[in-house]
Amino acid sequence: MQEVAVLGVGLHRFGKSGDAIVGNKSVTELCRHAVDMALSDAGISWRQVQAVAAASSRFSGGKGWGLNGNDVVEDLGSTGVPVYNLSAGCAAGGNAFNVGYSLVAGGVHDLVLVVGGEVMPKGMIQTSGTEEVTDPEFLRQRCVGMPGPAFWATLARRRMHEFGTTEEQMAKVTVKARQCSVGNPFARFQKAVSLEEVMNSPYVSNPLRLFEICPVSNGAAATILCSAQKARQFTGKPVWVASSAVATLGFDDTLPRNLAGPVPNGPSFHTEVMTAVRKAFERAGVGPRELSFVEMQDNTCYYELAYPEEWGLCEPGEAQYLLEAGETLPTGRMPINPSGGFVSFGEATTAMGVFQIVEATWQLRGQSGGRQVPGAKLGLAQTNGLGGNATAAILKR
Amino acid sequence: MSEIVEPAVPGLFVADEHGARVLGSKCEACGTPYFPKVPVCHNPACPGSRMEPCGFGGRGVVWSYSVANFAPPAPHKYDKPFRPYAIGVVDLASGLRLVGQIVDPPEAVTVGAAVELVIEPLYHEGGKTFTTWKFKLV
Ligand SMILES: [Zn+2]
Repeated sequence: MQEVAVLGVGLHRFGKSGDAIVGNKSVTELCRHAVDMALSDAGISWRQVQAVAAASSRFSGGKGWGLNGNDVVEDLGSTGVPVYNLSAGCAAGGNAFNVGYSLVAGGVHDLVLVVGGEVMPKGMIQTSGTEEVTDPEFLRQRCVGMPGPAFWATLARRRMHEFGTTEEQMAKVTVKARQCSVGNPFARFQKAVSLEEVMNSPYVSNPLRLFEICPVSNGAAATILCSAQKARQFTGKPVWVASSAVATLGFDDTLPRNLAGPVPNGPSFHTEVMTAVRKAFERAGVGPRELSFVEMQDNTCYYELAYPEEWGLCEPGEAQYLLEAGETLPTGRMPINPSGGFVSFGEATTAMGVFQIVEATWQLRGQSGGRQVPGAKLGLAQTNGLGGNATAAILKR
Repeated sequence: MSEIVEPAVPGLFVADEHGARVLGSKCEACGTPYFPKVPVCHNPACPGSRMEPCGFGGRGVVWSYSVANFAPPAPHKYDKPFRPYAIGVVDLASGLRLVGQIVDPPEAVTVGAAVELVIEPLYHEGGKTFTTWKFKLV
């Protein structure tokens, strides 16, 4: 295995269709902006890229077949490079990163582009459109009627029961997230919100409120991965990929993801995420408490409390007190989502895994401005998506 | 006025002299319960799939719940005007962790509450009443 460096990163600011940021830009335009920025950051030209790993979207571009990497190659110039289009729900960007990493680590290529972009439809993401009685998602919607955030709301309610977490504490996660995104030029929301504003936003799925759930956004992210040998030609101080891991659900996962399952003997965890994160720690040879910061998938504020505990960054039930003590801010001892996270960016689904790598790289280079984690040395990026997919990557300087 | 009552989806549940049950299956080899039915056992540690039909009903405990504060999109169907309802994740004594609406007002529901499985109306359409499985506080 070769060492892999992150040579360049690029991002198109996130926004909402029709706004002043993304307007009516197509996913190809958003991706072109992010890729051009990553190429120039790396100091290479498009013709030097040897392969492309792209996140497959079911919402935009890709000729309706998730061929989003082919769109990017056509747009930038058909050089004939191999293209890998990766589909993994909201984990697609993380999956594309893992494939790009593996191609370089395995010595197949020296310079690989990883890219993800989205133009999202309005409203909640629909998981299934079919009316077939053999489709469990159809049965869940027809026979029960579960709004998108119901799964998260159920877990948040359970947390309130187990650890005494209050609705106010969950609202404080959003306040903290938006505090981080103030002055982040790439965030969709760059204004702080007060606790009152969050608490006064309506319930979408009690106990979760509108401001505590990430909306959908348009945006794109790109990164250039490079072998160690080649990287030294370009820079003296690259950011390194310490590890990259992918996992799927275990049979022992007892969270209510479907209509039914066995009653478990003990507590319920996100097994796909735990497996990916544990593998990332093992392969990097580091422990959860050595991290300088985490960029995690916060579809809702609940996850900023639950995930650090599931991964061993702190003790079960402790995250809400660390939050209130300011320890999850960039200046705290357990910084979570210094970028502002999904709650401040909105979710451009398949771009998110690459977006996290971009922010982690800036953090490790000390280029994150007002949201900089002082002395950041080691960062974790994590995604999860429909189908029981999860990814985790650890970057270091 | 006689009412025509039909299941929202046929073959998934029943209410008879043995009570209300959802119709799933159970692996006789490893004991894993399933709903809806599956053709083969999904347990990677199972010595050899032996699926048998199995009904799950009776009492259980609310593991957790959420509230649908807004109407879910199609293919969900509901009577208008929309009224928020609680969705329970219930650990049935018969071994199944099952998701379903709770007929009681959301304010009355708590984690740990005892409930029982019932078959109740979900929506009305074309002069018919369509039913589904739900839970009721006991
Ligand atoms: Zn079995």
